[in-house]
This record gives sequence, structure tokens and C-alpha cells, in this order.
Amino acid sequence: MSVLDTTDTLDVAGYAAAVRRSLADLGPEQVDDLTDDLEADLAEALDDERHVAHGRGVLEQFGPPEEYAAELRAAAGLAPASAAGRAGLPMGDPVQDARRLGRWALQRLRAQAWWPAVEDFLVALRPVWWLLRGWVVYQLVASMAGVSGWFPHNLPAFLVLVGFVVLSVQWGRGAWFRGSSGAWVATAANVVAVLAVLPLLGTVQDGLNDRELVYDSYLAGAFRDGGTQTVVEDRAIDGVVVDGMQVSNLFVYDAEGNPLTDVQVYDDRGRPVRTTFDNGFEQYWFPEATEPWSFVSRVDSDGRARWNVYPLQGAPTSEFTYDDEGLQVLPAGSSATTPPWPFAKAPALDAPPEAAIGAEGPVPTPTSTP
Amino acid sequence: MDTTQLLKGVLDLAVLAVVSDEDGYGYDVVRRLRAAGIEEVGDASVYGTLRRLYSSGALTSYVVPSDEGPHRKYYGINAQGRAMLEAQRKDWQEFAGAMGRLLKTEVVR
Repeated sequence: MSVLDTTDTLDVAGYAAAVRRSLADLGPEQVDDLTDDLEADLAEALDDERHVAHGRGVLEQFGPPEEYAAELRAAAGLAPASAAGRAGLPMGDPVQDARRLGRWALQRLRAQAWWPAVEDFLVALRPVWWLLRGWVVYQLVASMAGVSGWFPHNLPAFLVLVGFVVLSVQWGRGAWFRGSSGAWVATAANVVAVLAVLPLLGTVQDGLNDRELVYDSYLAGAFRDGGTQTVVEDRAIDGVVVDGMQVSNLFVYDAEGNPLTDVQVYDDRGRPVRTTFDNGFEQYWFPEATEPWSFVSRVDSDGRARWNVYPLQGAPTSEFTYDDEGLQVLPAGSSATTPPWPFAKAPALDAPPEAAIGAEGPVPTPTSTP
Repeated sequence: MDTTQLLKGVLDLAVLAVVSDEDGYGYDVVRRLRAAGIEEVGDASVYGTLRRLYSSGALTSYVVPSDEGPHRKYYGINAQGRAMLEAQRKDWQEFAGAMGRLLKTEVVR
């Protein structure tokens, strides 16, 4: 017997399996007696060069497997399938009807000139369907078991997938599920797989789209602050910030390190530099304070409140009362005091370098030359 | 005329004749039938006939192991089969003679 390529072998195996299924009602012994050498005989017939069968497919040469089985059964002197009391459905077997419809469709298609090439191509893809079918069944089982992911992540799940693929391929080849007991389970699983494959592929595509969206937002920086989707803006705040902390007061020392009071601070554009913006209503805690303080403003010669005079003076908040206008003021008789200095004296500086000031102001004379 | 109808009556005889010539397995018998000119018979019919003849005791069967291919089941004829063959051969010759006379043609013996 010559060597056939694998697709022919698998075709024959599938055909033989179908023949056996049609004979299944006779019982496994009888089926074996009738079909012991079936694969070998079919293969040899297809391969026989002297016979016109050479190069034809199994279905083409032998006709539908059910008819082959009926002929075999009749020649062997056994009762035909329907009379053998198969447990069929009462209202006309939909499986048989479906098969008839499929055969009719195939016959119509085969009448077209372009069909044989297409059919060969599709038949060549059958093993791919077997692999896909195994994965579909794995996916359905996995999603019911709560395992996520389109491909197994761990060894047990991978083994399960391999198991389903092996089952699918072996059934496709006709090697397993030959008897009537296992056949309907395999057929049902096949139908489920066919129905489920498109929706499953759709959800896989959705899942991939979702991941792309998440990845894009990751690239845009959505996950920097520990996973919450905060957008970090660099927005400047008003006030004085030291070491990431907004400070409530400034303490100024002169060159020798002596504390200065009533220092007016302006920024590079001449704007007053403020540390507080509450007009005296807020409370502030600072180190070594036992209770919070509130600040009071200084008043300039025009009568405006000035909050850029440092160090800001105030008093513990508890000493404040409210006046007739609802403002927080110190009661008459008590006055604002300076909050505790961080240190009594700052380190003395080196002799200051030459400082050039704008044209309006006087040039300070250095106390000594460097 | 559709020879399949003719064949249904005499397939047993044809198969017995082939197997009595030499033991053979399923497709081997099919091939020899076709070589003798019986083209119309379906493979399944031949296999079923072999099975039925074996069940009725006219044929023996044994498995021949093979190194290269699968093991094949061979059929051989036994005494009962030979007796059946002889009886059916006579029936056929009488029948063919009668038909020949009716049709006024010679029957090749």
C-alpha cells in the first residue's frame, strides 16, 4: 500500500468514523465486524491507480457515509437503521434533515466551476478548525471556572487547553469517540464550539481594544500617583513655599545675624510677597506653639492693610474677638506680638560683595574690601 | 439495463468465485471483481457480502499481520462455501442458458 499524505488519511478516518456512527445502533461488536478494515480498504481504493478513484476525495468516490453504511448494512443482511428502532426524535429527525440540507447545498455548490478549488482549500484547513475548536471549548470552560485571559497563564490551565485540543484533534481524525455513547457528546461539543467561536473572537477583540486604551492612558501618565487617574498639573500657587511646604511667616536677619523687624518684602516685579491670604481669619500652627495663632496686618501711610511686613505679628487665636463689622480683631488693650523666632541669631555673613542697585537707590558702601 | 439490479442476485456467487480462486482481503476482492469486468458493484456491497457469507459459515477469516501497513483480515473459502459455490454455479448456468435461448445468443462457458 502506498503512502498517502496526511489529509487523505484524515479524510478517510473521518469518513470511516461517520460510517461507524451510522451503524452505531448495531452495537460495538457488530460495527467492528463490519468495519474492521474499513480505513485500509477505503484508502487503498482511493489510491488504486488502475481504478478510476485515483485522485478523488473520499466523499466523491464513495458518496455520503450514511449511504455507504446503508449499503454495507443491507449487503450484510442486517436491518436498515430506521427499522432497528433507533431512539430518534418524533417530529422528523432534525439531524437527518440538516444533513440532507447540507448534502443538497454541497451538490449545488459542486455544480459550480469554482467550487472544487475552494472545497480543497477548506478541506485543507480542517485541522486548523480542530485546533480552534479545542481552544474555544477551553475558553468556555475557563470563563465558567472564573479563569481569565485568552491564553493560559499557568501550567494547570495550559494542560487543560492541551487536553481539549488533543480531544478535538483526535475526534476530528476519527480516532476517538467512535462508539455511539461518546459520539453525541462530541457532536454537541462541536456544535457549541461552532456557535461560540464568533462571539468569543469578538470579545477577544474587545479585550485587546480595552488593553490598548489602558496602555495609551498609561503612556499619558495616568498611573503615576499610585494608580489613581490623577492628572498632574504644574500650577503655581500664591505664597511662599519652602521645601514643598507653604510657610506662614518669614524671619529676616541682618548681616551680623541679628533679627530684623518690620521688613517689607517685594518680589522681582515689585509685588508684595505674602504668606497669608486670609486677612487674619485663619489660624496657624507653628513649631513650639501650644495653640494656634492668627496674624494681624500692618497699616501703611495710606491706610491700606499690608501683609508683606515680616515677621508677621499676631496673637493666639483665642485672644481675638469679633468687632461690630464681624472682623476678627484683638480686643482693646492687647496688642499684637511677634511669634517666636526660629533662632535668636543667625550666622554672621562674610563681608558682602559689591552690590549694584538700580539707578534710583543709593549705592551702599561696603564696610570693608574683600 | 442497469446492471446493479442483475448484480444483486448474483453477487454472492461472484464473491464466492473470487475467494475460492485465492484468499483475499476486502479491497482485494473488489479489485478482482472489477478486473473481471464487474465495474458497477459498490465497495460497501462487497464488504457486506463478505461479512454475510462469513456469518453464514461459507467463508473463513484470519488476520494477516503486516510490518508496513495495518493488519488485514483475509477471507478464505471452506467446504461449506465450496458446496454453496457449486450449487449456485449450476443455477447460474441453467439460468444463463435459458436466457440465451430466449435472446438467441450464445452463452460463453
